[in-house]
Amino acid sequence: MDNYLDKLPDFVNTVKSIQETIITNIVLIGQIPSPTFKEKRRTQVMMERLAEFQVDECSTDGYRNPIGIIRGTSESKPPIFVVANLDTVFARDVDHYYTIKENSITGAGILDNSLAVGVLVSMPEIFRTLNLRFESDIVLAGVIQSIGKGNLRGIRHLLKTWHTPIRGAVCIESSGLGRFNYYTDGMIRCELECNISTVDGWEYKFKPNAILVINEVINQIQKLRLPQKPRSRVIFGKTSAGFKHGMIAYDAMLGFEIQSDSDRMVKSIFNDIKDIIDGISHEYEVDLKLKTISSLNAARLKFNHPLVKSTVAVMKKLEIEPISAPSESEISIFLAKKIPAVTLGVTRGENHHQVNAKVEIEPISKGITQIIGVMMAIDKGVCDEKRLA
Amino acid sequence: MKNDWLEKNTFHYSEFNDLDRLVDEKRKKNLKISLCLPTLNEEKTIAKEILIMKSELMTRYPILDEIVVVDSGSTDKTREVARAFGADVYEAKDILPDLENFKGKGENLWKALYVTEGDIIVYLDADIKNIHYRFAYALIAPLLFYDNVKYVKAFYDRPIAIGKNKFRPTGGGRVTELVIRPLFSLYFPELTQILQPLSGEYAGSREVFEAIPFPIGYGVETSMILDIYEKWGLDVIAQVDLDKRIHRNQDTRALGKMAFVIMMTFINRQKKLGLIELKNDLFREMIQYNLVRDEYQSDIFKIEGHERPPIIEIPEYRHKFNKN
Repeated sequence: MDNYLDKLPDFVNTVKSIQETIITNIVLIGQIPSPTFKEKRRTQVMMERLAEFQVDECSTDGYRNPIGIIRGTSESKPPIFVVANLDTVFARDVDHYYTIKENSITGAGILDNSLAVGVLVSMPEIFRTLNLRFESDIVLAGVIQSIGKGNLRGIRHLLKTWHTPIRGAVCIESSGLGRFNYYTDGMIRCELECNISTVDGWEYKFKPNAILVINEVINQIQKLRLPQKPRSRVIFGKTSAGFKHGMIAYDAMLGFEIQSDSDRMVKSIFNDIKDIIDGISHEYEVDLKLKTISSLNAARLKFNHPLVKSTVAVMKKLEIEPISAPSESEISIFLAKKIPAVTLGVTRGENHHQVNAKVEIEPISKGITQIIGVMMAIDKGVCDEKRLA
Repeated sequence: MKNDWLEKNTFHYSEFNDLDRLVDEKRKKNLKISLCLPTLNEEKTIAKEILIMKSELMTRYPILDEIVVVDSGSTDKTREVARAFGADVYEAKDILPDLENFKGKGENLWKALYVTEGDIIVYLDADIKNIHYRFAYALIAPLLFYDNVKYVKAFYDRPIAIGKNKFRPTGGGRVTELVIRPLFSLYFPELTQILQPLSGEYAGSREVFEAIPFPIGYGVETSMILDIYEKWGLDVIAQVDLDKRIHRNQDTRALGKMAFVIMMTFINRQKKLGLIELKNDLFREMIQYNLVRDEYQSDIFKIEGHERPPIIEIPEYRHKFNKN
């Protein structure tokens, strides 16, 4: 076990030696706009690059997730998955052209999650440079329709239709180095829409204002008593309303998430919120529509799971401080299917979700090496004996 | 007008996607290829250009032998960044320092001939936001595969039918469509087949570039086409569709200055070739007006119209390249 760990510090420099190729991949792929549900062009470029780097198989699955497979030396070992989501939060008309400086890359989507996709595509070249062969097949998957309303559809479909067992998985996120996710909260993501008829009718004594109605919903949700155990919370993340300063708002929207490490608690809070909304809708005589746009079940690897322990060992060997928090990314779908998986961040960055998002170049080679270290651990069998508790 | 050139000498970059073939052909012909990036305050885009070209066309496919940046005296970090990313960086004034010093894109291109080693030289503008390595290899390929071709120009929109009876315009820039195309139509109709004569991306053999003069400023692309056409004919020229190019947009006043220089270059060439006679010399000032408070004030842009002779006439060059 220590044998592969000892190799890792040297790997960092070898990975750095092909940094230009890795950054080229990040730029060539990241500059293609890829809003959720419109990932076709980025998928095409990812396939072209994978073919360029001569993976053994390169195709899309039935849901159009681009996949490259590097054949392993064993015919019996199940594959190891390495995945990164292909979609970004930015629309096509946003400038996606990156600026590179001595130690930074700046541009829309680089942190979420274009850098990770570039790293994923570079894996065949990185393995060649490191002279690495795995026993397992390595499945490099860019998954579409992941974020927001995408609701992780790409990864859900990929795992639903994959016909063999999966040995383990590493999910790659661009930010930040040290990020280490091995558990996921239960979650329901909702959108509440308030619509008020623009026609003055007999039913209103005082015409309601959609902003104030939404405000009342927020106030009442905030009055809910949420337990500390199971750890639970409601996050208000998005809102929009109205047309202009001097006119009552007829429409308003609120986006929020219910999170808890207990699925039952998520469901219970959701029902409480639904009651609040029904009550306000009745009392204010307004149309309030609550839509669930995505949901996840809580799942986790225990801290003593060999994959968790090995990942911590890899990070420590590379002097990376692991920082753990629940994640709502692809890992939750792997864990829900009892496939051991972790999420790792590649580098440090700033201005998340903004057009001027910026990543540091220098830590990238270390970030990639930790991913390879974890893949090596899986290939050595750390996930083989102990499945998910 | 002979108009089969457009069909014969127009390519699409995708015809040259097999880079192993390019590498083989280059080896077979034992050629060296240089990429030159002329710069002036391009710190935002230069690193990306160098990095992508180096990774794809030097490390992965050994097509380029060197990447050279010739800078006009940037006041930002252009030279520092370019050097950090592995290009050979020169300041134009330090090349052939005994000659009088001029400042301009044409000067950088001309001086690059002295510092580069390639038999083929690729010139790319350094402000291309959507830079891709096709910008270089697709310009090089016709020079490797077609013996008659000595000079290759880029264009960026596809002037082809996209459906029954549907055509897209060729999409030349404003200066191309309002200045250079009308002039070519009047004097050299054959040259109108070059769809974007002002594009800043082109490649050619050293023997062509060393034998033609280079105006210092904007006029260099126009004069290059006219001189190559006059010396070797249209068949040595080819053009390649590079799909799409994103760069800084210039305002109308800046384009006006560009148009002025290009017209001046064109008329001077006409005069030199004996195609027109001028009774007076041309004025060398472009005059534009600004309204400042309630007063119109002139803004005068003076063009010296300097031009470098064919570099083969420079003794230091002949000496360096054994051209005696």
